[in-house]
Amino acid sequence: MMGSRLLLWLDRMVAMTVKELKQLSRDPILLIVIVYFFTVDIYVAGSGIQMDLKQAAIVVLDHDHSAASRDLIYRFRPPYFDLKGEISSEHEARELLDRGDVLAVLDIPADFQRDLMRGKNVSVQMQVDASNATLGTLATTYAGQIVARFGQEQAKERLGLTEAQLQAVPVIQDRHRVYYNPNQTDPWFMSISELLTVITMLSLMLPAAAAVREKERGTIEQLAVSPLTPAQILFPKILAMGMIILLGAAVSLFLVILPAFHLPIKGSLVLFFIVTALYVFATSGLGLFIATLSHNLGQVVMLVILIMMPLLLLSGAWTPPEAMPDALRMAMVLSPLSYFIEMGYGILLKGAGLDILWDSLLGLALLGVVIFSFGVWRFRRQFR
Amino acid sequence: MNVSRIKAIAYKEWREILRDRLFFTMAFVVPIMTLLVLAYGLSLDVEHIPFSVIDYDKSAMSRDYLHRFIDSRYFDFQGEAAGERELDDLLADSRIRFAIIVPPRFQEQLLSGRPVAVQSLIDGVFPYRTQVSKGYVAAINADFSTELLSRYIAQTRGIRIEQASVLVAPVRLETRYLYNQAIRSRWSMSTGLIMLVLMFAPPFLTALGVVRERENGSIYNIYASTVSRGEFILGKLLPYIAISALNIIILWWLVIELFGAPFKGSLLFFFPASLIFVVCTTGIGLLVSLLVRTQAAAALLTMVITFIPAMLFSGLLVPVESMDRATQIEAHLFPAVYYLNIVWGSFLKGLGWSALWGNVLSLLIYAAIIWTIGLLSFHKRPRQ
Repeated sequence: MMGSRLLLWLDRMVAMTVKELKQLSRDPILLIVIVYFFTVDIYVAGSGIQMDLKQAAIVVLDHDHSAASRDLIYRFRPPYFDLKGEISSEHEARELLDRGDVLAVLDIPADFQRDLMRGKNVSVQMQVDASNATLGTLATTYAGQIVARFGQEQAKERLGLTEAQLQAVPVIQDRHRVYYNPNQTDPWFMSISELLTVITMLSLMLPAAAAVREKERGTIEQLAVSPLTPAQILFPKILAMGMIILLGAAVSLFLVILPAFHLPIKGSLVLFFIVTALYVFATSGLGLFIATLSHNLGQVVMLVILIMMPLLLLSGAWTPPEAMPDALRMAMVLSPLSYFIEMGYGILLKGAGLDILWDSLLGLALLGVVIFSFGVWRFRRQFR
Repeated sequence: MNVSRIKAIAYKEWREILRDRLFFTMAFVVPIMTLLVLAYGLSLDVEHIPFSVIDYDKSAMSRDYLHRFIDSRYFDFQGEAAGERELDDLLADSRIRFAIIVPPRFQEQLLSGRPVAVQSLIDGVFPYRTQVSKGYVAAINADFSTELLSRYIAQTRGIRIEQASVLVAPVRLETRYLYNQAIRSRWSMSTGLIMLVLMFAPPFLTALGVVRERENGSIYNIYASTVSRGEFILGKLLPYIAISALNIIILWWLVIELFGAPFKGSLLFFFPASLIFVVCTTGIGLLVSLLVRTQAAAALLTMVITFIPAMLFSGLLVPVESMDRATQIEAHLFPAVYYLNIVWGSFLKGLGWSALWGNVLSLLIYAAIIWTIGLLSFHKRPRQ
């Protein structure tokens, strides 16, 4: 008796899951969305942003015109800077900066060389357009390094020190090792962050779309009078969409991120997909909730956007928790994405295992149960 | 063109927007939420970096050295670690972002005039933050070295310490940050986000609104009526332009009140220019609505063609001059570039018509082209 009941239950689950997959395969818009976001979108996001100073335009106001000033000026070269020539007045400098034609103006004082020779302290001025704060910071950092190196060489000459002697003075030698992403390759970071965001968006949208479609077409009434229990209607939807999302994640990881950006996967892929599956189930609870609020796919998309925003804000996808205001950092425990981000970066980039990530996994599991039960509860109420 | 017909259509549209609560909420909530989410979530200020140290030397000098990190406002000391294994775990768990290891005999070596290599381990997951942290570490090391070196030179050559420090570091770079003196990334981001929001929210609403008319078939009333296509489009889009105009004011106010950004320019320049931009982007929404048949497709297509260019190809994160030639041309095909100049010019640089008229002109031409294409491709007798 028990056995045949279980078989029947399984049979219904399989039949419904196949039905969901077939229905999805006949929805061109959703198919295009799935393919687009798992391939093109991740590629564009990964290759689009390189947040480093690249050939920033700089001009020089050289009041000295000496060998020393020229030596310094010609150190402002690609890759960081691109010397756009010399100008003759403060006024011109201001105008170029106002128009955004140059990022910085280097101002070398008169008597630059003479003061250097006399062993006086000289300062070089740089005006930086900081309306883009990131670039302003980077420009100052790199310019500071260039000027410091110039200064060191001048000092070496004047102190009469040789290379060998320089090795025998008391200084700190900066030996840094960058973990996980040695060359600060932006695409590694950007593509993973985008992949996790896309998984979030689709695990909200696909289950919601599958549920709303029944409402839109009125087939929900047929399901309600069928011998299926509400759970047998719901789980196949989540199962089918979850499978599609895991497949999409695999495609984007193996066919886009790995070949295009050469991401070295440090941790266990099995663990990554288990975590992803757990996350997709947790988030699909919210998707079901969205389905109870909307009547058509258009509204689903709008609600997905509305719910995505706070999830993203509280996730640390672009900004690590320590850089957020305290109140927001506390609220991060409420966003399932924050655990997923921590584990996603942890597994893929850092090679962390369960021994380190167990607390995030536990957090996601607990939050997932709450969200999922909430979604199912809201959705089941519709059958009453 | 008949004004009373346009008025009638606009009034009908307005009533329809008011009646759809979800849509009405979207119209105002999405712009505000996008601003808040991205301005708080995409913080590029690199401060409060959590870090740990291992001090194998435990001398007066090593403590003095480490205190330069502990006392810095950029770093957030998380206590001393017991060993390198612990550092690895802390880094993998994102509890710290970098670590410094002071080697044994640190003080002894430096006092006897020999260089010491200090190892720092930096988390590379967030590439931009890594780059900046590396810069901070290098700067603190360089400062400490300069002091050591001048003391050493003063001792060995028997000169005064002030003289020695001039000899050691003869050139200094003085940076003046224009427009954003404290280089607050929040000023750059929040103002720049006005551009992003106005780039995607107006076309989003417009496309949904126009497609909705077609989806529920009420457009046949328009086809059958005496309204000309010009009157219809104008009347239909006016409420959306009005909503966006209201949003300009709301965003402007939020950016000033919430993020403390200064508004140095002229309102008589900023508001008209913003209105022209909104007319442009509303036109993009019209074009999208002519390409798709369902609200869901309209929402997704708008996101794809407005959000990504506004984020990546506008100069918000990467300046247009740093892009390669092809991308630069691509960037100028979207109105975002011109409007970003207007926003940053008005808020941070205090510029007005005389400096930015070229950008306004580009927007006007852009709007004219988009609207002409939109008008010409809208037919009252659609081919079926």
